[in-house]
Parts: sequence; structure tokens; C-alpha cells
Amino acid sequence: MSQLLLFNIVNGLIIGAFYALMALGLSLILNLSGVINFAHGGFLAIGGYLAYTLFPYLGFWGALIASPFLVALIGILIEFVLIRWLYGRDPLYSLLLTFGLAFMIEDGTRFIWGAQSLPYQIPSWLAAPLSTELFFLTGYRVFMMILVAAVVLGLFLILSYTRLGLRIRAGTLDLETVSVLGVNVRVLRNLNFGLGIFLAGLAGVLAVGMLGLEPTVGDNLIMPSFIAIIVGGLGSLPGTLVGGLLIGVASGITSVFLPSASEAVMYVMMAVVLIARPRGILGEEGRF
Amino acid sequence: MKSSQISRGIGRRTLLRTGAVAGLLPLARPFVLSARAADTIKIGLDNPLTGTFAALGKNELIGAQLAVDQINAKGGILGRQVELLVEDSTSGDTATAVQKALKLIERDNVNFLIGNINSALAQAMANTSFEKGVFHIVPGGHTDSVTGKQCHWNVFRVCNTTRMETNSVSKLLLDKYGKKWYFITTDYAFGHSLQDGFEASLAAAGGTKLGADFTPLGTSEFSPNLIKAQSTNPDALILLLAGDDMINCLKQTVQFGLDKKLHIAGAQQELEVNKGLPPNALFGDWVFEWYWKQPGVPHVEEFVADIRKKSGGSVPTARTWFGYAAIWTCQLAAEKAKSLKPIDLAKAMQGLVLPPEVALMPNNPYYRIGDNQLMPTLFIGHSQPAPAGGDPEDLFAVTQLVKGDEAALPVDQTGCKMEWPS
Repeated sequence: MSQLLLFNIVNGLIIGAFYALMALGLSLILNLSGVINFAHGGFLAIGGYLAYTLFPYLGFWGALIASPFLVALIGILIEFVLIRWLYGRDPLYSLLLTFGLAFMIEDGTRFIWGAQSLPYQIPSWLAAPLSTELFFLTGYRVFMMILVAAVVLGLFLILSYTRLGLRIRAGTLDLETVSVLGVNVRVLRNLNFGLGIFLAGLAGVLAVGMLGLEPTVGDNLIMPSFIAIIVGGLGSLPGTLVGGLLIGVASGITSVFLPSASEAVMYVMMAVVLIARPRGILGEEGRF
Repeated sequence: MKSSQISRGIGRRTLLRTGAVAGLLPLARPFVLSARAADTIKIGLDNPLTGTFAALGKNELIGAQLAVDQINAKGGILGRQVELLVEDSTSGDTATAVQKALKLIERDNVNFLIGNINSALAQAMANTSFEKGVFHIVPGGHTDSVTGKQCHWNVFRVCNTTRMETNSVSKLLLDKYGKKWYFITTDYAFGHSLQDGFEASLAAAGGTKLGADFTPLGTSEFSPNLIKAQSTNPDALILLLAGDDMINCLKQTVQFGLDKKLHIAGAQQELEVNKGLPPNALFGDWVFEWYWKQPGVPHVEEFVADIRKKSGGSVPTARTWFGYAAIWTCQLAAEKAKSLKPIDLAKAMQGLVLPPEVALMPNNPYYRIGDNQLMPTLFIGHSQPAPAGGDPEDLFAVTQLVKGDEAALPVDQTGCKMEWPS
């Protein structure tokens, strides 16, 4: 039993890292723009489908690199055409618009690529387990952990040491002052949205290596992302990271004892956090 | 000042006129619709076109559309052309499925109702069609209760029951692999029915259930369940999952190398699932309810060719055949009954045998008297990568055929107590 538990904790960390990647993109957009992006799962799906389409031309690695950037460009375009009109309004507006956008993306991917699940093959040397005993540690999952860690590190470096990152952080705290200081807030929001969508696109390419590629692939991953943000703390990127890892581990442990509750436990955690510490584990008080 | 400004925007007379027209519209529309409706026989298809079962629903629709085209080319039903009305039930929302069924029944006055893929939605629709007294065929919802404990005189089913599926493959699995099984099962009506069936077979053979994990429909991550399953060292890992859940689980199974350590098997498998898997994930022993490659079976090749034209080159799947057989069943029942009254149709269906050009399988499928369940042939075999030089959609190797009435429980053991209207 203890070995089983340990296996599931380690595995939960791997899954949690993936949730964290999704949630970080969502959190970036929410923190700066106040937009609840319910279409985040749809962008994940677009990432997967673009990777599938590019695979015959660029191979696995080329598709892995190119696809998130293409999704980010789509995100930038959508922000420019649709999202920016909602800034400053009640968050409900953005939720409703992105909710509709999610359906549009689902139907759009179904129209373009069909409703049938599409096979996406990862390189065979990545698909194998690393050892007989730790069979759930496949090369692909370890690669995913390393890539997520690298991307998260890269994100924190961008936010800490680049002009764009500093402006995003400053804008999260006080966007009005940032605007008065001469920063083009419209462009800032646009690029920030693109950065968040880049993370969704990357999550999509990684996801379809493990999951079936079909129009609803992002649907079951969007709610854990929101929960990770709430558990970790609204307005806090480190909190979002911690939240993602925590819900992944909680889900893994629960599945040992009560598999049918492995999804529900995330919602229980969310409820407990909202009751006991509404700002989340690392969130700022009074942020939202 | 304000009120006069407001009143200048929309005049009172304009408002009253608009209201009157709006009030008359509901009265006018049915009249217009019914004037059109009188010319055609309407078949209402209430099935998923979005969500996790969209691919399955699309294939049932293609089969249904081909059947409608063929029926109309031959003069229709009772001399009237057939019109197929399609509604999206969604993949999992019972309330929507029932609401759409009511819309088809009450607003569109369909003569026949067809649906649903989702077992829970199929049962809910069956209960609704029973209340409304409408002839209803369930093409692809498998849970036993539809022609079992909650059977109704007006409801018929094309696809197998979950019990038929498990009974047909149990002996093979017990003989080939052993008697210690671990289950990973999707947590809704369909999965539970399948597991009940397998557990009954296992118990009858003196086997052992090492464990069972119920996973919510739409689960993407199966690693915790696979870790648990592997730790029990089963003779066979039985996967009772649906659609994309099955794809996710099989992909993760092969990535963990468990396909080399454990025997993987289950009951129902579908070509739609196999087409979504990479070649190294095509393994395991399963039941198909219909397969497109049946050398020597009459009319199958023509059916495959006709469906390829409609589907952009893809072969028909079992779902395609469900939709096709369901629509043709409506025609056969009406022609036999010489009537469109539901009670006459239901009586004509008792023991109705599908002709070869509709059956498209060996043996003679028929609707069994007592529970309204079609007794088709079940195709037992294993998933395979497409053979080199062969058709890229030849992803299943049939090794055994089982007659439906040999796999089915006797009527008196299904729990069905059919009550006919007086």
C-alpha cells in the first residue's frame, strides 16, 4: 500500500505539473486583464490539432516548437478583435464571451479536422517506461516535467528581468499608473494574452501525446486549471504553480482509495480553500 | 420629460401591433408546418452531434441518411417520402436529450423516434417515448435496462445489450488468460452494466475480481488506476470504457509498457476508437458489433462502397450500421403493419427478421418477442495495426462469430415485463 501511495504521489506531481502549465497561462491573463478565459481549453485543443497538422512536415520536435507560437498568434488576433472590448467591464462579460468562444473553437476544430479522434504518435524512445518497477515514469512524462519546469523557469525569468515582464507585473498591481507612465497598455495586454495562450498551446501539444486528439480534448482540463488558480491564490503565479501540483497529488492519492472521487477531490479542495482561506494559499488579501 | 422621450422612441400603436403579430405567430407556425408535414413520413433522430460521442453520432447519422435515401428511391414508406429530422442531444445532458425528443414528438409530430448513443440518455428518451406512445428505436445505447427492467412495448433496440457483449467474450477470456481480473470501468450506466455482466461470468467460472476502479466519464488521466491494477498482478485487465476514455487509457497503457506485462481485454470496442489510436496501441481482445470486412457476406461490399461515398472515403463502422438498420427497421415495420400507428408497428415488429440487405451479417438477426431486442451476430477478435499493403482502416481481426440469441439472457431473466396497452 505504501508503495502504491508513493507511486501515485510521484505520478500526481507529474500530472500536477501539467495542470500548473495550463493554469499559469490562465492566471497570467486573469491577473493583468481581469479576463476569465473559458476558451483556454479550446486553445489547448488548437495546439494539439496544429501539432498533428504540422507533424508530417516538421516532425514531432518541429511541431512541438512551432505549434505553441502559432496558437499564440491566434490568441493575439482574437484578443485584438474580440477580447479587448471587454476590459474594465464586469468579469461576467468576459466569462460569457469566452464561454461562447469555447464552443466556437470546438465546433471549428470539428469542422476542420472532423469529429473522429486522430492518432498522434510520439517518438517510440520517449514512449517507453524508464524502469520496470517505476513503469509509470515514462520517458515522455519525465520529458514533460522537465519541459514544464524549463518553461516555468523561463516565464519567471521573463517576468523578473525583461521589460515586458516588469511591465506585466507592474500592470497586475496598478495598470492605471503603468498607463500614465507612458506604457502602451493596449499592446501590453495583447502580448500578455498571447503569452498566456502560448502556454495553453504548449499544454495542448504535450497533452495529445498522452490523450486522444479530438475536439473536446481541452474540456476536461480547463476546470483543474481554474481550481489550481483558486487553491493556489488569485493573483499569484507561484501560488498557481503550487495549486496545480497540489491538486495533481490529491487526485493521485484519492484514486488509491476511491477512484470515482479522484476528480471530485479537486472541488472539495477548492471548497475548503474558499471557506477557510478565500485568497488561496499564496494569494494576496483583497486582490479579488 | 423622460417619459415623453422614451415614448417617442417606440410608439404605443407600434408596440401593440408588434405584440399582436408576436402573439399570432405561435398559432400560424404549426399550421404552416403541418401543411408541409402531411406529405412526408418524419423520422426524428435525437443523437449526440457534439461532445465526446460526436464521432459515433456522426456515423449513426451517415448510416441513417443512406437508409433514408435508399428508402425514398424505392418509393418511401407506405408510398410517402421519408424526411429525417436531426437534433443534437449532446453527449451527456439528459435534460437536453429529453427536451429534444419532446420537441420532435410534440412540435414536429414525428412518426418514429430514433436515439440515443448514451445509455443513460437512451433510457430517459425511452421513458419519454413510452409516456407519449411513440414508436422508438434505440440504435446504439447498450445498457441492459432499455430492453430489460425498464422495457416498454414501443421501444426497440438494434445494438446488443451489455450482457450479450460480456457473455459473448467471457469464455474466450477465461480460457485464454485465466480467472483473476481487474476492472477499470467508466462510471455510468453503460460501464456498470458491462461490469455486472463480466462479474456474473467470472463468478460462474469460479474466478476472482481482484479490484475495480470506477472512473468518471471524460477521464483523461488513467495512470493512478493503471498503477493500482498492475500492483494486483491480474490475469487480465478488463477495460470497460467508452470513446475517448478508452483511447486515453490504451495510450497510457502502452506507454507504461503494461501491454507487455498484462493481458488487456474488454467487451465493446469500436472502430472509431481504433482509428484514434497510434499503431502501437492497437491490441487486446474485444467485441465488435459489426465489422466492415466480411468476405462472402452478401450486400456488405455495396454497403461499404455506398458509405465511402457519403463519408469522404471512410469505411462504415458498427455505428453506421446501427443508424442504417434502425431506419430500415421503421420501413420494414410500417410495410408489414400497413399502418403508422405505434401499436400496430410494435406488433409488426415482434419476431421481425432483417433481410440480408439490411442485416449485412451472417445469420438472420431478428427482433426477439418479449423484450424487443434485436438478436444480431457479435464479432469477437483482437485489435491490430493495419496490415501492410492492406486497407488503413482494417484495424480489427475477427476470430469468432457468436449468435446474439446464444449470448443473450433468456427473456425471463432480463427483468423485462412487457405491458401492452389495452
